[in-house]
Amino acid sequence: MFRSTYTRTLHGMRGGLVGWGIGVAATIGMMAAVWPSFADVDVAALLNQYPEALRQAFNVADMGTGSGFLNGELFSIILPAIFAIYGIGRGARTIAGEEQAGLLEIIATMPRSRTRLLLEKAAAMATGVAVLGVVLFASMVLGSALADMGIGAADAARASIAMTLLGIEFGAIAFAVGAVSGRRSLAVAVSGGLAVAAYLLYLAGQLLESVKPYLWLSPVHQAISGGPIGPTLPAITLALPAVTLITVACSVPVYERRDLTT
Amino acid sequence: MNTETEPAPTGTGPGDAVIRTDGLTKHFGHTAALEALDLTVPGGSVFGFLGPNGAGKTTAIRLLVGLLRPTSGTARVLGLDVTRDRRDVHRVIGYLPGDLAIDLELTGRQYLDYLGHLRGGIDPTVRADLVDRFDLDLNRRIGAMSHGNRQKLGIVQACMHRPRVLVLDEPTQGLDPIMQRSFLDLLRDVRGRGDTVFLSSHVLSEVEDVADHVAVVRAGRLVATTSIDELKQRARRRIALTFTEVAPLDTLRTVPGVVEATAVDHTVELVVEGSMSELLRAAAPFGIDRVVSDEVDLTDVFLRMYEGR
Repeated sequence: MFRSTYTRTLHGMRGGLVGWGIGVAATIGMMAAVWPSFADVDVAALLNQYPEALRQAFNVADMGTGSGFLNGELFSIILPAIFAIYGIGRGARTIAGEEQAGLLEIIATMPRSRTRLLLEKAAAMATGVAVLGVVLFASMVLGSALADMGIGAADAARASIAMTLLGIEFGAIAFAVGAVSGRRSLAVAVSGGLAVAAYLLYLAGQLLESVKPYLWLSPVHQAISGGPIGPTLPAITLALPAVTLITVACSVPVYERRDLTT
Repeated sequence: MNTETEPAPTGTGPGDAVIRTDGLTKHFGHTAALEALDLTVPGGSVFGFLGPNGAGKTTAIRLLVGLLRPTSGTARVLGLDVTRDRRDVHRVIGYLPGDLAIDLELTGRQYLDYLGHLRGGIDPTVRADLVDRFDLDLNRRIGAMSHGNRQKLGIVQACMHRPRVLVLDEPTQGLDPIMQRSFLDLLRDVRGRGDTVFLSSHVLSEVEDVADHVAVVRAGRLVATTSIDELKQRARRRIALTFTEVAPLDTLRTVPGVVEATAVDHTVELVVEGSMSELLRAAAPFGIDRVVSDEVDLTDVFLRMYEGR
């Protein structure tokens, strides 16, 4: 049934994944349910009364379309948070959490390299986030069709990819800190702190001219600057997988050498 | 790669050292968990690694199986360095941790299948034989197993690939007496095949029936290495003999091996070093009504070895 650490780890994630998937689908479903009544109102007129800064911060400029509605309501904070939190939870648990629980004590004495163990577990974490991304994509396509939101499949795919990459990056940071330290709480603290910092930088970049030049540094910006439901996936999005790979790669040599805790 | 087809590592002929540590040292911060351990474990033997809790047994074992890196010194298994050749060492060892934690959500079968895959396949008949031996129900979820059954599962996973070296940390904990006997039989079989067992314990009686040699550690340092026979020779047992008539205290005092003797009414309490046979031969003619013997106090043996007495 489990031929590898990858499949074994994924299997252990299935219960949580179902719950998180339902959460993502329900979030989209709720918005799709609200959309018809929202679309009837002259939103543009309503939103023009908001201060400019707020409109920019919450991405509400384009609230009159289905894409703009979801971008403003969900993709500016709720969905990035869901994906980051899910990634961080899996990333911290699958390596540091299992080590602290003593579950790797026997696994780490199997005749496979620790590098392979680490990479298979990282791949399982990334797959889990990607499954959540597929659920997001499917919910958007379905919700758009049912509620006539006019979101194309390609646009929905780009947004889902952006969220997936964001979740995987923060998951990878938690994973790498956990791999290096063996401590789940530290993994959560570091990656969670970075996620909050990334969001604050994004927010400050929307509000303050002086911060704008540094906006590209924020993974949140990297993920959602294209809408994220929009016609293009900006090149800066590639920073997400790049940082992911570098982070995990840096943890490998440390994990190969260090003492495993019990 | 199959281990049998690899060239035999040097120094692994029968009787040669299968495990060898040189100045093996492990510090955690300022705490010295293990200090300059020099140990030689001959092949085809059962080696008991004894000492009180917290003496450094688990640290030594986790160094041997490559979970920890030595602060200094080296450890070799079948000539392979446990740090540099870690994967090769993992091929030839079976390891049972002292604090066994396994995925509770899996069944025993799923768990053993998974480990079998990680080992690149194992002989199913060997595994089936072990499962029979320990009367283990593999269809149960591990979370629903008793502590003893989980321990049996741990023993099966350590042995199912016929490792040349078994490294077991406090293996008998949680096993009932019948299973302990099956376990000791298993170790004799392993030795009979020419393979080597390294097991730790804090209770001498658990290993004295099966071990050929023992090493004693205390506070991170090796106290003594000796054959089990020698250890038994030095072991002191407390025994109380109750006689039907008057207690022959003066006669018993002079028996070889008797270290102490005191009498209360018809009962003589004695401390005997080594074999009891002389004492019992001398006491029998006086009509023994009852015999009460205590477990060997291992700490006492260790301390006397430690002090060189």
